[in-house]
Amino acid sequence: MAAGDNTTTGETLSAALAAKEVEVTCFPEELREECDALRARYETPRAALMPLLWAFQRRYGYVSREMERVIAEELEIPLIWVRETVTFYTMYNQRPVGSHHVQVCGNLSCTLCGARETIRMIEEELGIAVGETTADGRFTLSVVQCLAACEEAPMMQVNDRYYGRLDRQRVREIFGGLE
Amino acid sequence: MSAPKLLSANFGSEVSHRLDHYLERGGYDEARRVIAEVEPEQVIDQVKRAKLRGCGGAGFPTGMKWSFIPKGGDKPVYLAVNADEGEPGTFKDKYILTYEPHMLLEGMLICGKAVGCHKAYIYVRGEFDLPIERMEQAVAEAYERGYLGADVMGTGFPFDVVVHRGGGAYICGEETALLESLEGKPGHPRLKPPFPALVGLHGCPTVINNVETLALVPHITRLGADAFLKLGVESQGGTKLYCVSGHVNRPGIFELSPSVTLRALIDDYAGGMRDGAKLKAVIPGGLSAPVLRPDELDTEGSFEGLKQVNSMLGSAGLIVMDESVCMVEAMHTIIQFYAHESCGQCTPCREGTGWMRRIVERILAGHGRAEDTANLDSIARKITGTTICPLGDAAAWPVMGFVEKFRDEFEYFCKNGRSMVSGEKVGA
Amino acid sequence: MPKLTIDGREVEVEQGTTLIEAARRLDIHIPHYCYHRGLSIAGNCRMCLVEVEGAPKMMIACHTQAADGMVVHTDNDKCREFRASILEFILVNHPLDCPVCDQAGECKLQDYYMEHGAAGSRLDEDKVKKRAKAKQIGPNIMLDTERCILCSRCVRFTDEITHTHELGITERADHSEITLADGAWLDNRYAGCVVDICPVGALTDRDFRFKCRVWYLTAVDSICTGCGRGCNIAIHVNRDRPHKAGGARVMRYKPRENPEVNQWWMCDEGRYTYKQIDHDRLTEATVEGRTATVEEALDATGAALRKAGDAVGVLVATTATNEELYLARALFAGALGGHAAYLAPPQGEADDLLILADKAPNTRGAQEILGEQAADPVAWVKEKGVKAVVVVGEAELTGLKAEVDHVAVIATHPGKATEQAHVVLPGSVHAEAEGSFTNLAGRVQRIRVAVPPIGGAVETWRLLMELGDRLGHPFDFAFEDDIFAALADQLAPFAGLSHESLGRRGAPLGSGTTQPAEVA
Repeated sequence: MAAGDNTTTGETLSAALAAKEVEVTCFPEELREECDALRARYETPRAALMPLLWAFQRRYGYVSREMERVIAEELEIPLIWVRETVTFYTMYNQRPVGSHHVQVCGNLSCTLCGARETIRMIEEELGIAVGETTADGRFTLSVVQCLAACEEAPMMQVNDRYYGRLDRQRVREIFGGLE
Repeated sequence: MSAPKLLSANFGSEVSHRLDHYLERGGYDEARRVIAEVEPEQVIDQVKRAKLRGCGGAGFPTGMKWSFIPKGGDKPVYLAVNADEGEPGTFKDKYILTYEPHMLLEGMLICGKAVGCHKAYIYVRGEFDLPIERMEQAVAEAYERGYLGADVMGTGFPFDVVVHRGGGAYICGEETALLESLEGKPGHPRLKPPFPALVGLHGCPTVINNVETLALVPHITRLGADAFLKLGVESQGGTKLYCVSGHVNRPGIFELSPSVTLRALIDDYAGGMRDGAKLKAVIPGGLSAPVLRPDELDTEGSFEGLKQVNSMLGSAGLIVMDESVCMVEAMHTIIQFYAHESCGQCTPCREGTGWMRRIVERILAGHGRAEDTANLDSIARKITGTTICPLGDAAAWPVMGFVEKFRDEFEYFCKNGRSMVSGEKVGA
Repeated sequence: MPKLTIDGREVEVEQGTTLIEAARRLDIHIPHYCYHRGLSIAGNCRMCLVEVEGAPKMMIACHTQAADGMVVHTDNDKCREFRASILEFILVNHPLDCPVCDQAGECKLQDYYMEHGAAGSRLDEDKVKKRAKAKQIGPNIMLDTERCILCSRCVRFTDEITHTHELGITERADHSEITLADGAWLDNRYAGCVVDICPVGALTDRDFRFKCRVWYLTAVDSICTGCGRGCNIAIHVNRDRPHKAGGARVMRYKPRENPEVNQWWMCDEGRYTYKQIDHDRLTEATVEGRTATVEEALDATGAALRKAGDAVGVLVATTATNEELYLARALFAGALGGHAAYLAPPQGEADDLLILADKAPNTRGAQEILGEQAADPVAWVKEKGVKAVVVVGEAELTGLKAEVDHVAVIATHPGKATEQAHVVLPGSVHAEAEGSFTNLAGRVQRIRVAVPPIGGAVETWRLLMELGDRLGHPFDFAFEDDIFAALADQLAPFAGLSHESLGRRGAPLGSGTTQPAEVA
């Protein structure tokens, strides 16, 4: 599986992830202020698309097809433009992911420093394979491209934090310290 | 080889990212002086004479790039800061964003004065949470204290900065893909000409500079062009940030004069080979730079020096490999990256990268054929020079370099169905 | 004005001209997929790479602008080698399903492969699986993304021409795929054009799919009769094997480029009017509701007209050609001293691209040639005292029979007019006769014979001449262009024009005397 393609649609969601699905059918008032600020900051409504997608993902954990529609309507841009952007970039989750999205770098520097073994070890620790989510919905495991932290190889990103020089003990400590 | 640490003196600091700390170090003095007292042409001239070269990968002379911006046009001029650091093996801009965000902002202000720009975007790769947080904090502080905004430091010079978060796409490090992305579109590189200096962001003249490049600018105006040039080599002024990773004892970031040899970088700065292993190969300038053998490392770590060994300095990310590495396997990691990151817009890159990936996967699975090695080389050659943007070349060069320099390993794997190094097949 | 050399020949072009267009001036065709003159330049297929002397690498001809002194090679060994490798790349993920692909025979992938590729395949890897295989994306459009080469023409068409944005390219790398927007349906009024511009079999027309292999088709220049725009089209006729297509003779319309009229496009409304050519046609004459020979019918009407003296009239629909209008005028208003007027054209919706509200192809011709419109035909015959009337063409006429002694209708399809006719004469549609239409903008454009008149139908112009014979006013025209010559001789706006000078792209009224007619 190509790294980074972890959150596309298609497969059925586990119950734990399905529970994280949110129905958003109209523009959420809580994002109104941010949206207005973005529209003022950017030259065109379309240019505000990426930050607005980020705002939705921060709020809901992913960007659903319904949210795409809501965003297109809000920005008054064609829906297909939103779809193109959401699918081109790998970081917009198109479905819910685990509470802790574990993304292990699989590029060259990390591979030289044992990333392949690290990935296998994390699979064991979490009891899931790459691309899967734990049954409790806590962890999703992905292999991603270079995260620009080669000096700490092998490394991973869990949600918004980088962790380097991974070995089993450190991984256990990291996962143990998460909610 | 000792060079002043213009950029890296505070890497790792807990406080250097704060405005006050930067001010204590004389921060923003140069921006204030340049904006108030120096003519744009003088700034550009100084940067030209300092021989500052773009640190994003191409090494284009920065002063010349600035001079392409038309003067006195009726359209706004934009500055787009390329902080999409994605070239595997490279992690230097992350440090600047994290530890010296104000140094970057100061460089941007000076650039703004030089090219008549009043609005800048910093395009940061989406994964960089902490650097983004730091950068946003720095921008907020600078606005609050009058270092950004409608009247920068009471000079009457307006300058706005927006931190823009990428979405996860290597190609957005390509300058026109970056502009497309800033406009909310998929990062499909544009046809050139027109060049961004004339038709860039939203159709307006745009300067696109790398983070490191801009962070060096205040040092040029402070030190003067001559002094800055002296820190470097004849063709390239100033210090350079080198990233070293892979099989070395002390992987990390090193700020040095580009006169440093690659061998010294590995042996003297990165602590030599890990576990005393024997060096096999070095990718010198980020993943796309053609690979070097151990006998090619006495070259100077400058743009010109690397050119002489038919490789490139690129983003100055050195990936060091010892003899345990199977080059076919390493090739697979490289080509799957480009196959994944190709934007898909133009034919040779879209189809060629995936084709090469599948061939290497087949070889790794033990089903290689005699003609595969030659085919890989020929496919790579057919991609070079035919694509819209340099990603095609970036994907092709490493393949050509690997096949040329480690042909025996490829042929062995194809013939015997297993690695010459590990004796195993890897599976795909 | 830059002067450059292409393949050893010098050409001077306007500043800004691209190499592909400069080469076209010299009749040099540079192979391409994504480039289309009606769309923005995408430069993504890389098929048009040419060698420019002094340039560090091959340049795409669709985007590189001609410069003074440039020396360009479009067909040397280097170009052919690059072209072959681009084709090889394009085929990496192409299914090569030509035997079951409806595009076969008009596929640029096939054409260029035979011309520039034709190397043995060295590709032995699995193909990337795409999502949409034979997926219906609009009332008439099928999408097959396996065959798609991602040239983006269809996307640019829906973005730039119709501004409807139904299509986009999603994902990236070799997973990139043409995608229909959620909830969208490719049913804009010009949707069929995406099939025309798709260079491969990725977009096909459900109306045409699998009905006929394209190599059995003959293309005949014509004009769409859907509205007053007069879009230039080619009628694709299945002359040799109608038995393989359920007897259908005309298989489809394709827009034909005319920068002065329709550029490269046509609307779907017009596109599918081809079906009327063979559908529900009048194929025999009737007299008082009984089947008759055309001669019997002509005799009956001839007798009725003679009896009416100069109390005769002709009402011509705006579907009639200039030539038919001229004969009607010459016979009825001229020779017989009666009356001639045209019927009001049907009205519909207009848009801001091509579609006009006037749904007839020759209203302007009728205005020029007959001058008078019979807005209310019944009132008109009363006012003029007409006792015997001939109606030419389709018309929603009622109540006419009660006002006159004789109604003859030269028509192609049954309708209100034929229902009340004493005599019905089966005439020809535009695809069955030579002639010309004048579009609403005043451009005179030729139509050509694509198929013979169906069944017992006769060319309408011949029927009018036959009536002339029976009324003692024989016309001396052997062919349709003779009629046009007489028309040009008689009516100033047509002066100087001829079928020959109209060429393939027509000429504006009045241009025959002021400037040389355009030659296509």
